[in-house]
Formats: sequence, C-alpha cells, structure tokens
Amino acid sequence: MPRRLLDRCEPDSIGQFRIAARQRFNDGLALATAGQRTGAIYLWGYSAEMMVKAAYFSLIGIAPTATITWSGDLRPAILRGRQMNILWPNQGEGHNIRAWIDLLISVRAMSAGTQYSPRFGLELQRRGQRLEYLWRESLRYRKNCAYQDEVRQAREATEWILVNGKAL
Amino acid sequence: MPRIRTGMDDRPHLAKGAFADQLAEELRSGRASGQPTIYEQEFPTGNLRVTVIWDRWDRLPLEERTGVILQAYEQAEGAAFRDRIALASGLTAPEAHAAGMLPVQVIAALRRDDEVTNEACQQAMLDEGASRLLGKEHPQLRFATLEEAEAARQRLIKKLPHSEQVWLITQDVGSTEGFATEEP
Repeated sequence: MPRRLLDRCEPDSIGQFRIAARQRFNDGLALATAGQRTGAIYLWGYSAEMMVKAAYFSLIGIAPTATITWSGDLRPAILRGRQMNILWPNQGEGHNIRAWIDLLISVRAMSAGTQYSPRFGLELQRRGQRLEYLWRESLRYRKNCAYQDEVRQAREATEWILVNGKAL
Repeated sequence: MPRIRTGMDDRPHLAKGAFADQLAEELRSGRASGQPTIYEQEFPTGNLRVTVIWDRWDRLPLEERTGVILQAYEQAEGAAFRDRIALASGLTAPEAHAAGMLPVQVIAALRRDDEVTNEACQQAMLDEGASRLLGKEHPQLRFATLEEAEAARQRLIKKLPHSEQVWLITQDVGSTEGFATEEP
C-alpha cells in the first residue's frame, strides 16, 4: 500500500528547502496561468522564504541534510536577528522574508570571506522588501484577488531569489 | 523565432526627489539632535549598515525608503561611499523601538512648582527629535544608548533653564519573547 503524502515527506533541511522552493515556484506559475493570482503569490512567498532560510543555515555551517527545527535552528536565528536590531515583528516571525534577508546580509557582511558585494546585497534587500509589501503567510485567510501587476512583482522578486540561489 | 535576451537589472535603485534632498542635507549638516537619526554601523569588512530613524518614513514602503537613503548618500558622500552600504533601512521611531533600537527614553516629570511649562517641555522634546508617532499627545524622546540620552538631557537643560530636575532617563526592561518554544 502506498505511503500517505505526509509520511513520504522528509524532515525540514536545507536540501529539502531548496528543492521545495523550486517546486512551489512552479506550482505558483501553474496557478498564475490559471488566473489564480492570490494563490500564486501565496506559494511564491514560501518559495522565496525557503531559499533565504536555506542560504542562512548553509552560511552558518549546517549540513544540507541536517534536520532543521523550530527550537534548535529557526527560533535562535530569529533571536539573533533581533539582537542585531533587525526589525522582526512577532506576528508570523518564522515567515518574515524581509527580516530573514536582513539577517542573511548582516551575518554575511561580518566576514570578508562571506560578504556580498554591496550592490548584490542591496538588490537582495530590495527583493525582500518588495515581497514583504505583497506577501504574508496569513494571505491564505484572505479572499481578495491580487492585481496582475502584483503577480508580476511577486514573481519577479521570487524568480530573482531563485535564479541567484547559488550566490545567496 | 525571436530570441530575446535580457540581463538582471542590478543597478542600485535610487529614489530622487525632496526626500532624498532633505536627507542628503541632514547628512551634510551633522546636526547634534532632532530627527532623522542616522546610525552607521561598520562591519569588519568596511561595509556599512545604515539605519535612518525618521518619522517622515511613515506611509513610505521600505523599498522606497532604502532608495531614498542610497540616493541621499550618493548626493552627500559620493558614489564610492554609497557603494560601501551593504544594508540600508529606513524606520520610523515606533518601528525602531519595536526592533529594540531605542530602549532609552528621556521623559519630562513635571511638578506643580517647576518653572517650566508642559508645552515648553514638549516643544523642546520635539526639537530634540521626539516622535509623535509614539504618542500623539505625549511625544516620546527615545535613544539607543544612555550616553545619547544623557547628551540630549544636557541640551534640554540648556534650552530650558531651571529644568534640571524635570528630565529623567528611563530604560526599557528586556522582553520575555525568547521564552516562546513553539512556532506560532
């Protein structure tokens, strides 16, 4: 008997985040082409979020297959960001793409070996700010339909993060 | 079949206009007090994290705030300095307070027999950079460090003679948010 979908899922890890990010991006594209704009943006936000989290945890030396947990990894990262005075609201704190990006850029900037070129970092920051403007994980509770231009903006921001995934 | 190639636009996105002009002027002026407050944190790599705390950011998206900051730095300091900025954030005073950047507050503790008025105190605090977004009726004057707050207190005393006893410095206590153990 085939295993249930949830039983087939592996624990969260950098590798899983990266693969899932691309899958959810494609799912979002399918929704967008079917006119389901809000659903598309909803999935793209997660896609971007997973890429950024994967980049951060990779930066701090976590192995690609190591299990990532809320209390062991995600929560300490959020607290680190707050200690660095990154604006990190409590609401949906695990999913704040802009805050995760600010953390990633700041931690990278601490060492010459890991820093982004300022131009690349600022471009990444801009993409995160754009997504923060358009996306929250709470979007699933909303009935509104996104504008076509909002779909474009969310897709472009997410695409940029995916395209530059190896450089993050 | 058309084959169209485009590059990723990685030029810095600068915002022109009065906002950037005004911020550039603030950067040049080096005023000791008043909004905006500009923090430049230098990383060991020489790159900078710039945070501009300014209530005028209210209603402006974060992305545009960053564009304004970059443009202002280019105008005031040149492109080479701007290119050292790795992270540029514009926050209103309430946002900066929420981010834990402004834990120290200068308050006016007026008594009946004080020689200064509440109105004079409020105006002096506003001149020092107090935020109306943190309290419309009672603007809050907040700082990152005790040293900054003490310097502001001294300026307030100088501005309002006989007000030494009025100005108090308080500090936020730590939050308990670190105790959360489950994802919301």
